[in-house]
Amino acid sequence: MTTTLERPEPTLPDDDVLERAPRKPFSVERLAASLTFMALLVLSAIALRNVGISVPDMIASWDNAENFFGRVGGLSFPEAGELLGLIGLTLGLVLTGTLLAAVISVPLAFLAASNTTPGRGWRMTARFLGVLARALPDVVLAMVFVLMLSLGALPGILAIGLHSVGMISKMFADAVEQIDEGPRLAIRAAGGSRLQEFTSGVLPQVMPSWVATVLHRNDINLRGSVVLGYVGVAGLGLEMSQAFRSLNYGLGLGIALVIFGLCVVMEIVSSVVRAAMLGPSGGGRRTWADRFGPRIVAARGRPARETSSSPAWSASPESALRRPWNANRVRNVSAGWVSVIVVVAAVWVCDIAWGDFLTVWARIPDVAVQFWPPTFGVYGADVMFEALRETIAIALAATLLALLPSLLLGSFAARNVAPTRSARSSARFLLVGVRGVPEIILAIVLIVITGLGMQAGTLALAFGGIGLLGKLIADSLEEVDRGPERALVAAGASRTQVYVGATVPQGTRALIGHSFYLLDTNIRAATILGVVGGGGVGYYLLNASQGSNYGQVTAIVLMILVTVLVIEGLAMWMRRVFR
Amino acid sequence: MTLHLTTETATAPETETVVRLTDVTKRFGDTTAIDGVSLTVERGEIVVLLGLSGSGKSTLLRHLDGLETPTSGSVEVLGQDVPRLRGRRLRTLRSDVGFIFQQFELVGSLTVLENVLTGALAAQRGPRLGVRSYPKALRLTALRHLERVGLLDRAYQRADTLSGGQQQRVAIARALMQNPTVLLADEPVASLDPESSESVMSLIREIATDEGLTVVCSLHQVDLAISWADRIVGLRRGQVVLDLPTAQLDRERVMEVYGRVASSPAELRAIQGVAAADLLQAGQA
Ligand SMILES: Nc1ncnc2c1ncn2[C@@H]1O[C@H](COP(=O)(O)OP(=O)(O)O)[C@@H](O)[C@H]1O
Ligand SMILES: [Mg+2]
Repeated sequence: MTTTLERPEPTLPDDDVLERAPRKPFSVERLAASLTFMALLVLSAIALRNVGISVPDMIASWDNAENFFGRVGGLSFPEAGELLGLIGLTLGLVLTGTLLAAVISVPLAFLAASNTTPGRGWRMTARFLGVLARALPDVVLAMVFVLMLSLGALPGILAIGLHSVGMISKMFADAVEQIDEGPRLAIRAAGGSRLQEFTSGVLPQVMPSWVATVLHRNDINLRGSVVLGYVGVAGLGLEMSQAFRSLNYGLGLGIALVIFGLCVVMEIVSSVVRAAMLGPSGGGRRTWADRFGPRIVAARGRPARETSSSPAWSASPESALRRPWNANRVRNVSAGWVSVIVVVAAVWVCDIAWGDFLTVWARIPDVAVQFWPPTFGVYGADVMFEALRETIAIALAATLLALLPSLLLGSFAARNVAPTRSARSSARFLLVGVRGVPEIILAIVLIVITGLGMQAGTLALAFGGIGLLGKLIADSLEEVDRGPERALVAAGASRTQVYVGATVPQGTRALIGHSFYLLDTNIRAATILGVVGGGGVGYYLLNASQGSNYGQVTAIVLMILVTVLVIEGLAMWMRRVFR
Repeated sequence: MTLHLTTETATAPETETVVRLTDVTKRFGDTTAIDGVSLTVERGEIVVLLGLSGSGKSTLLRHLDGLETPTSGSVEVLGQDVPRLRGRRLRTLRSDVGFIFQQFELVGSLTVLENVLTGALAAQRGPRLGVRSYPKALRLTALRHLERVGLLDRAYQRADTLSGGQQQRVAIARALMQNPTVLLADEPVASLDPESSESVMSLIREIATDEGLTVVCSLHQVDLAISWADRIVGLRRGQVVLDLPTAQLDRERVMEVYGRVASSPAELRAIQGVAAADLLQAGQA
């Protein structure tokens, strides 16, 4: 007797179930969004062609590179004392700027979050201010502040501070909107005021995510600080730009290396801090690689073990007034003091010319009139719009280039996709490494070495994009509902089938959203690429500001502002439609 | 229709109406959550609002703390016209009325002690963050309340490291911190296992008796309600269908009332299902 286990052929339902089933509702908006998406893909492909990243070119430029290194002779660094001073100043002004942004962002987030805002008008205003702050590149702000204030750290701090408000206030507000409303309601029910509801009910819930946001932004600002040097903000960036300008390539590259190292160290430090902040209640053991890419999850504690004997301090309410010094408290208190010291040191090292705050007001009118009216000056509209087109092309091309590698790396870095633990760890590690390379430095070095403007810029942005998008993709894939995956596994699906059938479909919307986020980021980065010689409108911006053609600065800033706002609007719309 | 027979020492001076609802209706769009409810609660009474899910218990309780405003009718608590209160005076009323939630609603990332202290916020000016930002006297009071609910040794632990029953006891301590006259509880044990339920309910009753609190507590378990309350107010679809002291009630009587008013066999089965579940629970205990 031979019984072969044979699966029955799947039979199609014989009745007209397909016809009876309701049609997927048709939405004009979705169609429009899909068409826009297609159009953008096509445009990006065209842009990529136009940028003309070709392998032969690169090989050709390799000769340049050899040539170049021949001339460099070797890396050199500023002397130790000076170097330390520069490092301290750079770190200090970045941190102070970020903290300034954080402070401004708290009230803004309160107004912008739908659940805490006192009214619709407030909410709109706060959100708009955030978008505006984000749309104005910090380099542009720095140029303006350099004009108004005496040189030093202050223009940089203010530029970083104001620009970062955009991202920080948005992320703060988003965190506030995601809280559990219950505890807040309980405080209201107990008679707490609005402010008390916020401090006692909202703040403790959002704190971990807020700190993570600030640390994250601080990393971004450290990378960005290099470009600030190109427009005259003190620190490593300024030293580097001067070195390159005086053709001292060895020193320039040496400083670039130092900044790169600094960025990596900073990234590691902030990751460790974030991980530590989630603390033992973050749940589960963390691998070493996890420390470099920890995610913020609502820190839910484990249920307590029932301890039979109560500690001595809890003998009576009076004795319990003295809080016991357990490991937790020691950790928290020391962390608190360390942060205070770091902040004080950061502000101190900047050696802020506080007097400028008094004198600056008098100079604002004089400076302001120079910025008006906007003009294209000697270049004319044609040249300017061509430059803007170039900027947009760079952003599109870089985004497209980053897409596939990010998906690959991001998938491998997702816990539920990675075939093995070590594959995941290596992917995460790689992503962190990629992210650690400041794209502007990469662009500067590529440009200096290969001499190719637009191509070098595009490649640099694409490279940085992989780090960002890859991490976002990994995180989103890990966040998908595990149910469907388990169901497919139970149905006997292979690993790839589970990935394609359950993981990716659930992550698609997030994926599209993140891609647009990257485009959004790239367009901002592309506008400032020109400042370092990477093509596009930034070149003219730097020229205009150095030639004191302030009317042109205004014109270019307005162009950038409109472009960034349009792309941002588009991105927001797409993310909403595909949510 | 009010079946409530006022209890007879009515001449005694301490009888004082703490809660007075007059013809209160609350609509959310098309849903009528509360439908013409009139109800009075005297000082010191321990009342249970009994009803199935969706019968309007939570909405009614929320009105008593000014967390909801009626579409029509008047809500009077401790002599105050609640819907008209604003700002400081509303917050003072809220602090006189303790509220215990089904989901406890503690701030998980704060310590147990700080959660208890938030109950005293109404008496404080301005925001507070950190245990130390509260006066020492308040901290001591909070610790006393924690001792009372049996959790003194947990004072400095994160609130989300406690079990459900323990969290609800912290929430009770938080309510005590308000020094309330009235205690409202919205299905305080619906998320707890039978054992913790038992201990939480008796804790509430014990504290209420000791402090002379007026309690309005919503429940959906018939037997628990009968054994625990002084008086039961039955809600069905936002209307009061039963209002009697428990002395005059047994489960048959409750079932009978619900049976009489049940609009469909399904609804009756639902009520009986609840009762059966109670019986099962009682059998296990
Ligand atoms: N905020 C609200 N918005 C809309 N409908 C509500 C709201 N609160 C309660 N309801 C509706 O009012 C009715 C009564 O709800 P609720 O008071 O929560 O009942 P219970 O607490 O007895 O379960 C339900 O139909 C519920 O859906
Ligand atoms: Mg309810």
